[in-house]
Amino acid sequence: MTDVANNLSAKFNDLWKKIDSEISHVDFRREEDITKMSYSDLLLYVKKDNVTQFLEKMKNNKVLDFNYLRCLTAIDLQGDGIEIVYQLYSLKHKYNVTIKTTLQNDDLTIDTITNIWRAANWHEREVSEMFGVTFNNHPDPRNLLMPEDINDSFPLRKSHPLAEIEILQGEGIDPSIVDGENK
Amino acid sequence: MTDIKKEIETQEILVNMGPQHPSTHGVFRMVLSIDGELITDLTAHIGYLHRGAEKLCETMDYRQGIGFMDRTEYLANFNAELSYVMAVEKLMNMEIPERAQWIRMILVELNRLSSHFMFVGAFGVDCGVFGTPFLYSFRERERLIDLFEEITGDRMMYAFFRAGGLAWDVPVNFESRVEEVLLSSEQGIKDMDGLLTQNEIFLARTKQIGKIDAIDAIDWGMSGPSLRASGVDYDIRKAEPYLFYDQIDFDVITGKNGDVFDRYFVRLQEMRESIKIIKQCLKHLNPGKTLAEGASRNLRTPPGEVYIRTEAPRGEYGIYLVSNGENRPYRLKIRSAGFSNLQALKDMVVGSYIADAVVILGSIDIVLGEVDR
Repeated sequence: MTDVANNLSAKFNDLWKKIDSEISHVDFRREEDITKMSYSDLLLYVKKDNVTQFLEKMKNNKVLDFNYLRCLTAIDLQGDGIEIVYQLYSLKHKYNVTIKTTLQNDDLTIDTITNIWRAANWHEREVSEMFGVTFNNHPDPRNLLMPEDINDSFPLRKSHPLAEIEILQGEGIDPSIVDGENK
Repeated sequence: MTDIKKEIETQEILVNMGPQHPSTHGVFRMVLSIDGELITDLTAHIGYLHRGAEKLCETMDYRQGIGFMDRTEYLANFNAELSYVMAVEKLMNMEIPERAQWIRMILVELNRLSSHFMFVGAFGVDCGVFGTPFLYSFRERERLIDLFEEITGDRMMYAFFRAGGLAWDVPVNFESRVEEVLLSSEQGIKDMDGLLTQNEIFLARTKQIGKIDAIDAIDWGMSGPSLRASGVDYDIRKAEPYLFYDQIDFDVITGKNGDVFDRYFVRLQEMRESIKIIKQCLKHLNPGKTLAEGASRNLRTPPGEVYIRTEAPRGEYGIYLVSNGENRPYRLKIRSAGFSNLQALKDMVVGSYIADAVVILGSIDIVLGEVDR
């Protein structure tokens, strides 16, 4: 591992130990791969079936007390499914943690966490319309940002086209021309 | 008497407010079901300003993304840009020149001032005080925006921060101009205090209305002044200091009741704190570079991910950036304060009178650009 990775792992070790000892019966693991590492928070992976149980523990455990859901979002991994990302914060202990779970492409459903944090409500609706993920038992599963009648196209998936703009940008840039122009 | 009461049947009716309603601060629509004057339910409809900023950023290189941040949060552009460039810098593991950091801090706090002036004026209008407070606060905001124009060349969409520092150095008379503007802002805050905080009609209109307690506010994921008004001592500048906030002396303002008045008053006091911060920052300004070594136009970040949050005028402005080693984000999520704060509106509005709905909405201080992105 590089220095950066070493420093990052050391930074999050205390919190990792705490979570590991407090929540023992749920299966989860810590990210050790430098290319996937989070530069800001401790990153944990939980299996899809355990995620609700795990998050409930994270919130209700007195030692951890993650009472604040910063953000809930998703990442399209194309062939590898869709990752749901939860950003939690403990206002009391000032801990941050990022929790991820992977949904396979053939089963894009997961239980809602609106019963744990009400903040998840709109975030889940957004993920649902943008990525096509179904949240079981969601109290209000309508579209949030998109028109009500669009239910078969998911704009934030990588397979969704964005006019011609992608051809003009991105790969077309020649780094040798633009590099250093700003100096 | 009781018989007559039985005969008069009342029924709940639906009232639609927005999206084109001057008090909804943009294009926000709420469907209220009301029983007489009392609100019994609220359904919020957002998305009228959705432009897909996240998807667009995924197709453009890192420098081009800065412009999109301006367009999401168009009343506090510097704050929005800051989160974004800090995310890129963290992935790149960049060292930022000290001068650039101090200037960033000054600009971000000045932007907080201008955003809060906008809030105070518009909030007055929501409460029915059209005229004097609105015009006074906009005059002060205009002075701030003039200063931003002198620095960046733009009145609204600055695109001034870069990953690695600033686009260019500030003008030579920067310090004297900032002091000049602060002097008039101080007077402006005093004026607002006199016109609104000590106005009995305003107090009657705002106290004990739209209450939300600390536990609910946290559960809804609220942040910023709206959360602090409920008595939660949470300010990202103190809790997880970024830039040089750990070297600066300032107070976190909290309210007690979590009502509309507290949300207003917390912001007004916060403006004084901002002035305090800027005055201390000015003492640290030394000549030097404003762009880091190795900050080029076409950056390529190493793979990894980062979640950066900063304290914007409306609360936590978070950028979740996932990189797979290209010159553009693989996934960019903008976590805006308004989005989470607006969710809690239902809790505050249900049970109050229909005339208060506008006041309560105004007190959360939403910008639909950041709610819809």
